[in-house]
Amino acid sequence: MTESQFKAARDLPSNHLLGSGTAMCAGCGGLGAVREVYDVLGENTIFINAAGCMTLLSVYPFTPFRGSWLYTAMASAPAGAQGVRDALDIRLAQGTLTKDEDLQVVVLTGDGSAGGMGLSATSAAIDRQLDFIYLCYDNEGYGNTGQQTSAATPHGARTATDPQAGGLPGRKKDLFAIWTANRPAYAATALAAEPLDLARKIETARDLTGPRLILTLAPCPTGWGFEPARSVEIGRLAVRTGIFPLKEYIDGRVVHNRIPHPRLPVEDYLKTQQRFAHLFEPRRDEKRIGEIQAAVDAYWQEVEENNA
Amino acid sequence: MYRIRFHGRGGQGMKTASRLLGTALFKSGLEVQDAPKYGAERRGAPMLAFVRADRRPIHERGTVVSPDLVLVADETLFQVPVAGVMAGVKASTVLAIASQKPENVWRDRLKIDSPIYVLPQSEAADDEIPDVSALIAGAAARLTGLVSQEVLRQAVEEEIAPYGPKAVAFNLRAAGEGFGAMAAGEGSVGESLDQGADSYDKPDWIDLDLDLAATAAPNVYAAANSVLVRTGLWRTLRPVLDPENCGKCVWVCGSSCPDGVIGVDANGYPDIDYQHCKGCMICVVQCPRHAFAAIPEQDAAEAAQAAQMAQMEGTAS
Ligand SMILES: Cc1ncc(C[n+]2csc(CCOP(=O)(O)OP(=O)(O)O)c2C)c(N)n1
Ligand code: SF4
Ligand SMILES: [Mg+2]
Repeated sequence: MTESQFKAARDLPSNHLLGSGTAMCAGCGGLGAVREVYDVLGENTIFINAAGCMTLLSVYPFTPFRGSWLYTAMASAPAGAQGVRDALDIRLAQGTLTKDEDLQVVVLTGDGSAGGMGLSATSAAIDRQLDFIYLCYDNEGYGNTGQQTSAATPHGARTATDPQAGGLPGRKKDLFAIWTANRPAYAATALAAEPLDLARKIETARDLTGPRLILTLAPCPTGWGFEPARSVEIGRLAVRTGIFPLKEYIDGRVVHNRIPHPRLPVEDYLKTQQRFAHLFEPRRDEKRIGEIQAAVDAYWQEVEENNA
Repeated sequence: MYRIRFHGRGGQGMKTASRLLGTALFKSGLEVQDAPKYGAERRGAPMLAFVRADRRPIHERGTVVSPDLVLVADETLFQVPVAGVMAGVKASTVLAIASQKPENVWRDRLKIDSPIYVLPQSEAADDEIPDVSALIAGAAARLTGLVSQEVLRQAVEEEIAPYGPKAVAFNLRAAGEGFGAMAAGEGSVGESLDQGADSYDKPDWIDLDLDLAATAAPNVYAAANSVLVRTGLWRTLRPVLDPENCGKCVWVCGSSCPDGVIGVDANGYPDIDYQHCKGCMICVVQCPRHAFAAIPEQDAAEAAQAAQMAQMEGTAS
């Protein structure tokens, strides 16, 4: 592999490809990730967008993109990507499209689609070794429709469909593990709050072929309940508390590229968001906070044992 | 029929205000419609909500175009044409504005004879879009003269209950405050007649010549034409740079901005595109040297205007 073009934060692109004027909320962590992904992938990128917040990026007659964008139903973005990839391959074979004009095919999807309705189409695309990037912005709920519970909602979070005292009794589905169990060309977790790490991972994904996952945690002021100004800080806290591990799957191995030391207590993260406020008021819910901390501790203990 | 329109920004609770008033009017024995109207815009974006109430069945549909009462939660919206605060306002329309400026200032600014009531508003915390739903709903209830304070209380309790006792208590207090503040205007809102479909002015036909798509709709086919949408209108706070404190590490603030509206100027300083900055204030928080200040949009706009005037006078003399 060639050396990264992004050696330090100052190498990050300062001119942005994605047009401003989009309808995403102020402080949207998902938009921050999409903007950077587009900067690194460049203009020759086509997005296939599963219904969700990001489908409002491109509302006729306006688009922030410099090329094509395809809107699909929640369940079928990978199928849409297959069609686009096939069409491009046919034209390459015909000689009506040059290698330089070829496009990077990117599915843009929320976690609701990715961990729910879209899972079957994604699984089939991996089976077929579809050459595409699967970019999921995980705001841990059905953001566009008012933050209902999704397969990616974390334990204890309150959502529009889990308003009860303890929040969601269930646990977050592990999309990264589902992907890596199927031996994709690449998989990585990242987030806009760590732009250098994100840029390097996109760069790596860009230069590979086959199914590639970029799973970004997307702090969502509207759905999680925090002031937009804290979006980046909350993303970093997710990393520093160990709740959101930064990792890469490459050449058949998972590597953690940031082991938080020391690991901050999970409540430093939970306390910043309204969706977890019930864990602290009117009185501390020691049981649930303990459960969340224990799950994080167990995860990192396993990482350490595997590394030892 | 009573036609009532609420104007605010996403996050200020105007959808809830219309709901609270709608429920209160319904409990007072009227037929009611209440609905919010907003596009794909989000928090901070101008939006409106409306209520229709009548003692007879309501057949009218769609947005209220000819209001009897207009409530404005955010005074900066008067300067935002797309917000349409004054649309369809007639001499009999009552206006209620949440503002720290007195009635005569508004009469002077708006140049209208309509009754104007000012809803005194406490200074909002700098980092927040205050939720004024119950305050505005309470004011609206009093101005219509159709709702008793007891029924208003029931409506707030019923609608806010899912958000817990703390929210209920807060909103009961706010609704009472709004109701109390409008004592002088009690019942000042009048009914206007039903508008049958045939009473609307029919639009004139416009003949559009057929042009080539490339000239008729060049913007539709342009790359990144979303820049034509001015999301700067969402902003309630403006990040303003103090170059004295800035270390020109533009990659820090630049890459923290989700909307990518921070560029670099000729001297290496961050350059914010205010036409599109949504006012999230991430740059203010992220800058390690605290070089950005968060200035209320109103003050920043006035200061910028004054500076421009001074410059023009300078070049004229
Ligand atoms: C089959 C189907 N069911 C429901 C919807 C309504 N819907 C539109 S967006 C959305 C939420 C999607 O959640 P997610 O994928 O996490 O994206 P987000 O909105 O959070 O960006 C839903 C339920 C739909 N478009 N299609
Ligand atoms: S709801 Fe959340 S994810 Fe959706 S646009 Fe708003 S901030 Fe972004
Ligand atoms: Mg989601």
